[in-house]
Amino acid sequence: MYAPVLKKTLLYSLLLIALTLLLFPFGVMLSTALKSLREVYAPNPHWIPEILQFRNFVEIFSKIPLVQFFLNSLIIASGTTIFCVALSIPAAYATARLRFRGRKFLLYLFLTIQMFSPVVIVISLFKIVAGLGLLDSFVSLIVVNTVFTLAFTIWMMNGYFRTIPLEIEEAAMIDGCSRFQALRKVMLPIAVPGITTVVIYCFTTAWNEFMFAMTFINSFEKRPITVGLFDFVGRWSVDWHYLMAASILATLPVMVLFLFIEKQLVEGLAAGAVKG
Amino acid sequence: MNHDNLVFSSTRSFLSLRHFLTQEDKIAFLFLAPSLIMLLAFMFYPIFYVFVMAVFKTNRVGEMVRFVGLENFRLIFQSEEFMATVVRTIVWTLIAVFAKAVSGLGIALILKQRFPGRKLARALVILPWAASIPISVMVWKWAFNNDFGLLNYTLRALGLNPPIWLAYPVPAFFATLSVDIWLGIPFMALVFLAGLQAIPKDLFEAAAVEGATAWQQFRHVTLPSLKPILLIATLLSFLWTFNDFNVIYILTKGGPLGKTEILITLIYRTAFEYTDFSSAGAIAIITFIVLLFVSLIYARFYFKTEYR
Repeated sequence: MYAPVLKKTLLYSLLLIALTLLLFPFGVMLSTALKSLREVYAPNPHWIPEILQFRNFVEIFSKIPLVQFFLNSLIIASGTTIFCVALSIPAAYATARLRFRGRKFLLYLFLTIQMFSPVVIVISLFKIVAGLGLLDSFVSLIVVNTVFTLAFTIWMMNGYFRTIPLEIEEAAMIDGCSRFQALRKVMLPIAVPGITTVVIYCFTTAWNEFMFAMTFINSFEKRPITVGLFDFVGRWSVDWHYLMAASILATLPVMVLFLFIEKQLVEGLAAGAVKG
Repeated sequence: MNHDNLVFSSTRSFLSLRHFLTQEDKIAFLFLAPSLIMLLAFMFYPIFYVFVMAVFKTNRVGEMVRFVGLENFRLIFQSEEFMATVVRTIVWTLIAVFAKAVSGLGIALILKQRFPGRKLARALVILPWAASIPISVMVWKWAFNNDFGLLNYTLRALGLNPPIWLAYPVPAFFATLSVDIWLGIPFMALVFLAGLQAIPKDLFEAAAVEGATAWQQFRHVTLPSLKPILLIATLLSFLWTFNDFNVIYILTKGGPLGKTEILITLIYRTAFEYTDFSSAGAIAIITFIVLLFVSLIYARFYFKTEYR
């Protein structure tokens, strides 16, 4: 009777410590977002604000061009998603279903470059983008974000297509469908869960991208939310309560989306090692 | 369709591409072409371009002026700042990966137990990974503020005497390290949890029948079963940590006095703040080779587990 209680207590206390550390910045975010300026810069900060300033969430819209930043991020993230999904579906179908020479090499290649660091080539990409006259444009970010998510999305879609039984597709082709029709009418509807995962992955990755946006975008009004907010951090006196309120609005939607795909991501990255 | 036959028949009509390529080869090429073109234009060509930049002297706007061979590399290896950054990057990466793996495993072992609220706890553990990284790091930056930040306020309330985190080299190093570890823990915990749940229950039951203690079970059943996943997660974590631009750039920009600089931030700042594209190119090439090496090990190992 004694040992299980002890074990439970130990378990919960360890979990509590871990969660406190992991959730600490979210606490900071929420606490600061609900403070008044006076309280943000109070000599003795407190976790719980005296009066919860919910109006911060309304006032930020006049302090920071938040709508503009959101719109920019939305354009970049949606563009990346559409482009990336359109490219990766046929590519993944080919690597999953067609027997062609170089198939294994390509799979290997996609796997090797999926973790590739963008910073290593940002110096030459900057010159290439400038040469194409695409600096300070959304197109540059959409293209570059697509290229850096593409290998992983092809890989994920490839894995998903391979779980679909070959017989389903063969049946459609015996019934007179061409390969393209079989892909469009039979495979794609079955693959919707896999495509959804890829869509969310592309969207959240592009939404959270920071380094390329900081490098390629000059105009203040073209900044996505990540760079837009970072700009305010660099200033001499920062309205942290507004910044934290904006951070909550910027991070909450993608956080919710991400929770839907977290399991597939873990499996996609570690594959056979997870399935045991 | 059949590759063995194809090899023989293709020797006869080798020059005729029309016969050489099967119907499936052609469709595959058509399906893959758009992706491959994009990768060629915006990934492989830029890699090649960096190699070229690294052997040229460039001017302040990044135009290549004169071929200098390996001169840029020679200068880089003579620079004390560069060598210090290499050492720092290695130390930074190793400590971070180790800490992530150990705490990830610990959390996974807790989450594997059955207890009320387990699902909620699991969802909460994911949050640092799910949130926007640049934004989380900005929040940390504010939390680290010595006068008004909630971190030092809380530490003082607990009776500790915390340093001014981002103002001095050593505390800043540990501040950036902690934030990077914080970011990496959720993935480790989730991957290990998935791995733990895949271990067949009868292994533990057999061990329990034999009278193994909890520690012996962990040591002789859990750890060996987790070996493949431990390896793959560590490799991935190495790549992410080594590449962690956001944490350092947003928190300290490599400062104070360059004491939190790692290779990735050094490349960026050398190019865009010191406008020295030749040196940046040379550092990028060295970094590229390290990353390629680790990526290849990862890919090899991934293939082995996926197709075993």
